[in-house]
Amino acid sequence: MVLPGLVLALIGLGAVAVLVLWWHSTPDIGNTGDLLTGAGDALGLLSGYGFVVLVALMARLPPLERGIGTDRLARWHAMGGRYVITLVTGHVLLIVWGYAVTAHEKVTNETVALLTAYPDVLMATVAWFLLLGVAAFSARAARRRLSYETWYYAHLYTYLAIALAFSHQFADGPAFESNLAARVTWSAMYVTVAALIVWYRILTPLRNTARHRFTVQSVRPEAPGIVSVFITGRDFDRLRAEPGQFFRWRFLTRELWWQSHPYSLSAMPQPDLMRITVKARGEHSGSLANLQPGTRVMAEGPYGAFTPALSGRRVLLIAGGVGITPIRAMFAALPKRMSDGISLVYRASHPRDVVFSRELDAIAADRNAALHYVIGSRERLGYDPLAPVYLQRMVPGLHRYEAYVCGPSGMTETAVESLRALGVPRRRIHCESFDF
Amino acid sequence: MRRAVIVLGTTAAGLAALLSFKTHSLAAPVPSAPAPSTGMPQATASGTGPSSMGATVSPAARATPKSSATAPAAARTVTGTVANTQYGPMQVQVTLAGTKITKVTVLQRTDDGAESDQIDANAIPKLTSETLAAQSARIDAVSGASYTSSGYIQSLQSALDQAGN
Repeated sequence: MVLPGLVLALIGLGAVAVLVLWWHSTPDIGNTGDLLTGAGDALGLLSGYGFVVLVALMARLPPLERGIGTDRLARWHAMGGRYVITLVTGHVLLIVWGYAVTAHEKVTNETVALLTAYPDVLMATVAWFLLLGVAAFSARAARRRLSYETWYYAHLYTYLAIALAFSHQFADGPAFESNLAARVTWSAMYVTVAALIVWYRILTPLRNTARHRFTVQSVRPEAPGIVSVFITGRDFDRLRAEPGQFFRWRFLTRELWWQSHPYSLSAMPQPDLMRITVKARGEHSGSLANLQPGTRVMAEGPYGAFTPALSGRRVLLIAGGVGITPIRAMFAALPKRMSDGISLVYRASHPRDVVFSRELDAIAADRNAALHYVIGSRERLGYDPLAPVYLQRMVPGLHRYEAYVCGPSGMTETAVESLRALGVPRRRIHCESFDF
Repeated sequence: MRRAVIVLGTTAAGLAALLSFKTHSLAAPVPSAPAPSTGMPQATASGTGPSSMGATVSPAARATPKSSATAPAAARTVTGTVANTQYGPMQVQVTLAGTKITKVTVLQRTDDGAESDQIDANAIPKLTSETLAAQSARIDAVSGASYTSSGYIQSLQSALDQAGN
């Protein structure tokens, strides 16, 4: 668990380097105009750097996906995105104000002057409006009302915004003016991240698909609203998927080809067969029940940091709802020598939401593992079965276990809090929530 | 929400601290003060000139106030002498309202090819902006544009001498 801290430290170092660049290119400040413009420049440089970092986080770099985890990267990206858009807005306002003060102009006149006399600034302003639009579409209030499709297309405009705003950095920014080394380094940064995007998000999936020939074999209903999709192909062992990991799936049908969604493997792959189990929660997951055998699929992965640490300790698996999917894969894949020390708590709101009960019973019997079905919503039960007192009753000596939790974010938060309250150290709690 | 406030507050505080190190003396903004004592060109304030500027359009668009509310006195124009530099001639024309410089127009500029164009496009708006801020020819040269700067200042000084400033 060293990598997240290391990556954050590196990002911080980069920000410091950017501020050093700003420091060297900003003359001493003697009046209000200089002060405002100087501040605006600093925010501009930090934003230009920030956007590169944000894109890099989403580039599907294997070490990041494996070492930090997709859900955490997505959370960092979301929080960072809000922050950087705030920075860039501050940049725009301070620069316009600062230039206006220096030129002894009204802000409105200065805005017009900046937009009309400096061509790259017009593009950069369009970029800013695009980013504000993206921010609006990504706000939680908006996402509740909009379809995934709308949000996805809106988000793609960030690439356009970054491209439009690039040139004004060099044309108008004092940090880059007559500083060839800075321009070269900055450009190299942008080019590198662009290349990583092309490699890991476009070329690698294409290559994997050609090599493994993912094809839908069959679809099997498991429970109301929950289906398993079986995927055939070849050389799946070369994917080296570990229990608990997921792939990003792009089913090549007319309606679904443009979306890729993450679904965990619900069983360890055989060399020519994989299984995912999906709960219908939206347009995409709902339409999987209608997949025809023979449909080609593009799969990227394996991804995910949620895999057994194999530390030799007893293992506690807590699954909520469709979080049973990766948990069931882990349950089956834990080495036999750990029998005696495996417990699985399966939390579901309603009996009809329970899947794989026969498989789970069989695995539990085979491994002499403790299996607890905890069914019923909190309102119906009148209490939260994942509260510390109940959890402890189910699994005595809990504090010595290595715990893995997977489910909707609310449930995983509760479970993690209970585990901490019962004395399980943070480094022995692994969790993944599906809400990214 | 609270985390957002903390993070943004820290950013603002950090930025303020950095800026304060760059401000040796927090003098009140005095537009007609002489050029800054540190001798560095006002690089940030003016920005870089537009890439497709004509010699007369942009400095006027950027630097001059639209309403000359401050100087009721009649406006007059004085033309400086031509300063010959290694890369071509520089000549400026100064418009004054009373004793206040309101506009500087470049009549002739260095014409030694595309590189001259680029250097001028970069330097001239800055020189003009400095002139208006300093209200004199005691401005700093723009780094990377020594010939343009010295020609500009020379022609500017001769114009101001004629005007009796």
